[in-house]
Amino acid sequence: MIWKFKSSRHQELPLSKDSSNLFLKIMISISVFLFAVTLAGVLAINSMLVNWNASILGSLTVQIVPVSNADRQKAQEEILKQEQRAVALLEAMPEAKKVTPLNDGQLQSLLRPWLGDDVDINELPMPRLIDVKLKSGAEINFKQLAEKLATVAPQASLDNHKLWLNKLINFAAGLKVLALAVLLLVIGVTSGAIFYTTQTSLGLHKDVIEILHIMGAKDTYIAQQYAGRTAWLGLIGGIIGVLIAIPIIFLIAHLAGQIEGGIIDEARLSIGSWVAIVSLPLFSSLVAMQTAYYTVKHTLERMM
Amino acid sequence: MFETKDTEPIIELEKVGIRYGRGPEVLSNIDLSLQRGSFHFLTGKSGAGKTSLLSMMYLWQKPSRGRLSIFGNNVNFANRNSLSLFRRRIGVVFQDFRLLEHVSAFDNVALPLRVSGMSEKEIRKRVNELLKWVEIDRSTSAITSTLSGGEKQRVAIARAVINRPDILLADEPTGNVDNDIATKLMKLFIELNKLGTTVVIATHNENLINEFKYPCICLKNHNLKIVSAGERKNDMEI
Repeated sequence: MIWKFKSSRHQELPLSKDSSNLFLKIMISISVFLFAVTLAGVLAINSMLVNWNASILGSLTVQIVPVSNADRQKAQEEILKQEQRAVALLEAMPEAKKVTPLNDGQLQSLLRPWLGDDVDINELPMPRLIDVKLKSGAEINFKQLAEKLATVAPQASLDNHKLWLNKLINFAAGLKVLALAVLLLVIGVTSGAIFYTTQTSLGLHKDVIEILHIMGAKDTYIAQQYAGRTAWLGLIGGIIGVLIAIPIIFLIAHLAGQIEGGIIDEARLSIGSWVAIVSLPLFSSLVAMQTAYYTVKHTLERMM
Repeated sequence: MFETKDTEPIIELEKVGIRYGRGPEVLSNIDLSLQRGSFHFLTGKSGAGKTSLLSMMYLWQKPSRGRLSIFGNNVNFANRNSLSLFRRRIGVVFQDFRLLEHVSAFDNVALPLRVSGMSEKEIRKRVNELLKWVEIDRSTSAITSTLSGGEKQRVAIARAVINRPDILLADEPTGNVDNDIATKLMKLFIELNKLGTTVVIATHNENLINEFKYPCICLKNHNLKIVSAGERKNDMEI
């Protein structure tokens, strides 16, 4: 098969002197660079989607809106009572893993990006928030829960994050499809370039190929020489592309990390993702090798 | 697979015609049957179709019409892989050598063995032995383009015989060498023939034809005639 390079030490075809080698190397470098950056994007979006999905499934927030009362002290006491009853109810739920009522400090830090440090939230009609982490695989009947909550805390409202996260998830999923299309396009364009340069090279070395055939060489013998050479170009081009892409990915990650709000924080690349990116030269080598091999076989069958 | 019985012709052409593109037929209605172990000269004026006939015999050119059989197989129906396997059993010496100019003499001679998948150890042994015999042993690693015409011709002959082929086809194999080497090379062909190789040598060299009394395949007016050594004086055109 294609992997057996029995004759790799003896290249009868002078492919290393082909002028298209430099073009292919540059072309593959650029393609692998684009591929690596796009792949990093796809993997980051993927991890973001996984985290968001986990958020939808794994948590909910209970909000207790302030009571309209002219006596602020009484209103505050009422809302705290409702919060305690709601926490008790939620903690009693078998699906709940952890129930955390947010204290004033935590509420302040949530509002800091919008209001700054100078605002005293006690002066504002602030709702109380209860963060509920659910056990994995837990399925909640939100309607029922909302009804139960209403009996102990009439000011409580239930937010399972679904509405706004669904919009984000749909947007990210769209981006992911777009990025995957770009990846396919990059593979297609690179394969096309390898196809045409290989065909040109076959024309250039027609005389040598003719001699090889007359000596009894099968098409696979010639195809293996092309595959070996192109795999090498794919590997070198791939390494160059990845070496350029890695600092760019770090730069983009750094810039994205500066966006506040925690949305981009979810888009971290895992070790597996980095392994995939660093392995791209092997992938480009494989794609280049396969393309050259089948181009030669296909072309020779039509040529002679 | 691909074996012929001793009584079966090793090459057989029946009503074969060959033309290039839409041009006239270069060879018409050729009938030829060569037995295993036969030895023939192939003669004819320039343009008579010697090269076309040889190229059919080494399976580079398919006949435009008629039937060409080799090793008992109809070539018209053979697939690419089978053709490659047939070609490995045919040694060819070209008039213009057709060596790979960018590799060494050693690699040129080793080519048919490498294509057949022989081990490098065995290749080294066989090639060095043969290159020594054709007196190229001092320049085995020299790039072929730097060799003289005579040296190239000997390398081309060594490449053709290294595989101990069943059929040896040679187009003017002694054209660029002196008489001593020509005689030596002819003796090599005769030795191979004694071992069972079918030999066809295209030549204009009258001395060679007269010295070695083998029948001639004479091409004239796009047709073919076999003339035995005894009767050839009157009939042949070289």
